[in-house]
Amino acid sequence: MSTYRIGEVVKKVNLSADTLRYYEKIGLLPPVARNTAGVRIYDDQDLSRLGFIRRAQAMNFSLAEIGQLLEMRASPQNARNEVRELTHQKLLEVEKNLGELGTLRNELQLLINLCQGTQDGCPILEGIGKKVQP
Amino acid sequence: MAAVAIEVFLSNFCENCANARVLVEKEIARLGNARFDVCYIDVLEQIDHAVALGVLATPAIAINGKLVFTGLPTSAALQTVLAEYVAAGDE
Repeated sequence: MSTYRIGEVVKKVNLSADTLRYYEKIGLLPPVARNTAGVRIYDDQDLSRLGFIRRAQAMNFSLAEIGQLLEMRASPQNARNEVRELTHQKLLEVEKNLGELGTLRNELQLLINLCQGTQDGCPILEGIGKKVQP
Repeated sequence: MAAVAIEVFLSNFCENCANARVLVEKEIARLGNARFDVCYIDVLEQIDHAVALGVLATPAIAINGKLVFTGLPTSAALQTVLAEYVAAGDE
C-alpha cells in the first residue's frame, strides 16, 4: 500500500491541508497515521475515503450525511437502519441527478452538432436564450 | 386507420434539412398524404421535446413518438419504414 504526505494528498484530491486536518478532526477521516517525526502519513484507504467525500460534496450532501454514508461504506452489513435509509435516499438523489445530467449532456451535444453545421455563427447562444424564456 | 405521426426536426444550420423536408413530402405523397400527420419542427423551438426523443443532430425524423432517423435517410429507407408503419396501422 502506498503512503502519502499531506502535500501529496492535497494535490491528488484537490483539497486544502486545512480541510484534510478538519475532516480528521470531525471524524470523517479516521486518525491518520504519523511517522516518528509526527508527520501525517496518509494511505490509499484515506485517499479512497477522501474521493468519496469529494463526490458526495459535489452532490451537495452535508458533512453529517457524508459521515453516515462513510459508516455504511466501511461496514454495509452492520449499518444502522437509519443509515441504510439515508443511503437509499441518497441513491435516489444521485439517480435523479444522473437523469438530469444526461438530458443536459444531450442538449449540449445537440447544440454543438448544430454549431458544426453552420459557417454563419453558432446557434448555441440562440438555443440557450430560448431555453431561459418563460 | 390511425394517421402515422411524423415529426421532422430541422434547423437553419444544416445543409441536409431542406433535402429532408423535400424527401419526406415526396414519400408521404407517394403513400398517401391522408395517412400521415406531419409536423416540421425547428429544433431550437422545441429543444426539450427533441432532446427527450434523443435528437442529437438535424435532420432527424421521429415516427409515432420514436426517433427513427438521424441524418438524411435514403429515399428507399424512408419509404420502407413509412410503409411498415402504414401497414401496422392498417392491421
